[in-house]
This record gives sequence, C-alpha cells and structure tokens, in this order.
Amino acid sequence: MIVKRHSPKTEEAEINVSPLIDMVFILLIFFIVATSFVNEIGISPKHKDSTQTISDSPPLSFELPGSGRITRNGSLIQLAEIAPIVRTASSGESQSVLVKVYPGARAGLATQVMDRALLGGAKAVKLTPMAR
Amino acid sequence: MSLRRRSLDEEASESINVSPLIDVVFILLIFFIVSATFVTVPGVEVKRPEARTAQSLQKNSVLFAISERDEIFHAGARVSLEEIPRLIETASKNRPKPVVIQVDQWADASLMSKVVAKARRNAPSVSIATRKSR
Repeated sequence: MIVKRHSPKTEEAEINVSPLIDMVFILLIFFIVATSFVNEIGISPKHKDSTQTISDSPPLSFELPGSGRITRNGSLIQLAEIAPIVRTASSGESQSVLVKVYPGARAGLATQVMDRALLGGAKAVKLTPMAR
Repeated sequence: MSLRRRSLDEEASESINVSPLIDVVFILLIFFIVSATFVTVPGVEVKRPEARTAQSLQKNSVLFAISERDEIFHAGARVSLEEIPRLIETASKNRPKPVVIQVDQWADASLMSKVVAKARRNAPSVSIATRKSR
C-alpha cells in the first residue's frame, strides 16, 4: 500500500510543458509573421574593371534617345537586332556593351536592351546616363 | 482494488500525449527561424520589365524601387537620389549586401541608371528586378 501511494507522487514530479508550448507557439507565430519570402529574378549588369575595358577598346554602344527608339551610331535599329550585333561584334571574346540613356527613355526598354545584349553574349553591360 | 487500478490507468491514458505536437512545432519554428531574412520591402507596387536572361537574385539584399512617376522608394518611404549611399550603408551594417532595384517599366531610364551608378559605389553588386517573359 505504501508503494502504491508513492507512485502518484512520481507522476506529480513530471515537468509541466504547457508554458514551454505557449512560448514556442509565440515564437513560431512571430517568425511566421516576420518572414517575407522575396523571390526576385533579374539581370545583373556586372562590369569588372570598366575603366580598363573602355580604354583598351571602345565598347559597343547603343543609345536610347527617348520615345521608344534605339540607335547605334546614329542609325535607328530594332530590339531584335541587338543580340545579333553583339554576337557578331564579339567574335570569340565577349565584348562589353555600353547603353547610353537620354532623359525620356523608358526603363523597360533600357532593361530589354541590356537583356538582349546579355543574350548576345556580352561580358558586361554598363548603363550611362547622358545629359540632353 | 482492481476497480480502482483500472480507473487510474484510464485517467492516465486519457490525457493527450503532447510530445509529437511539440516536435512538429519545434520543426516549424526552426524552419521559420532559418528562412527568416528580414528584408525591408520598398512598399510600392511596380510593373517589372521583361527579360529573358533573368536569373534568381540573392535573397538577402537591399531593395529600392522606382515608381512609374520616377520616385525612388526604400523601406516604405520616398527617398532622394543623394540619400541612396547612406541608406545602403545603414542597411548593410558591417557586411556588404547586394542591391536590387525594382524598376517600373515606364519609369525614366536615366533615373534608373543614376540609381545604379549611385548604388554601385557602396554595394558589391547591383541588379535590376525583372519578370519572366512569356
């Protein structure tokens, strides 16, 4: 009988886990709320030692004079022509491309030009703001 | 005697076993702690330009947005071009973070290039957020 009475006592000695669960739930809710899954895709116009590349050989350049036009050395070109131009110009070693942006050009077009240049195998793409 | 023992046993078995619950909650907690990056979103919705060569960008980066009306946003507030280096410095603390610029496709491209040029001085890499072209 004495042994019997002891056994409930051992049950009482169990750790109460409910505060632990409460705390863990609070932490869990905090992290669920605070987590923001930002999954961006994009292009990174990387250019290493840009000053050297420019001094060595003039890079391929495209101008965006605004109103949705793309020009190269003053002549109007289409968006689809950029990748072939870059591919022909690079011929073996990849070339860096300069995109000269004038006020009034749209960012969407500039991004597409950079995208096409990278598609054509450009090593680096540099954006340059130009004053009108 | 036998009756009493049965009632005790039943009472003991009636309480719900919470250890699997704790296990699951802990696993969820660890998952969310690990995946928490705490990026401050710019707080403006932009229509990203399309790109074919888009790659997934680093998650833990400093975000800037350029709206359709050529306003620069960072962490929910409008900022000026001159503030950008300071903001990058504050956001990256001691470890340099890459910069991602969410640009609206109708924003001014010369402003975008100015932002890129400004950000390039303080950040290891600057990217332009795009969307998948169909």
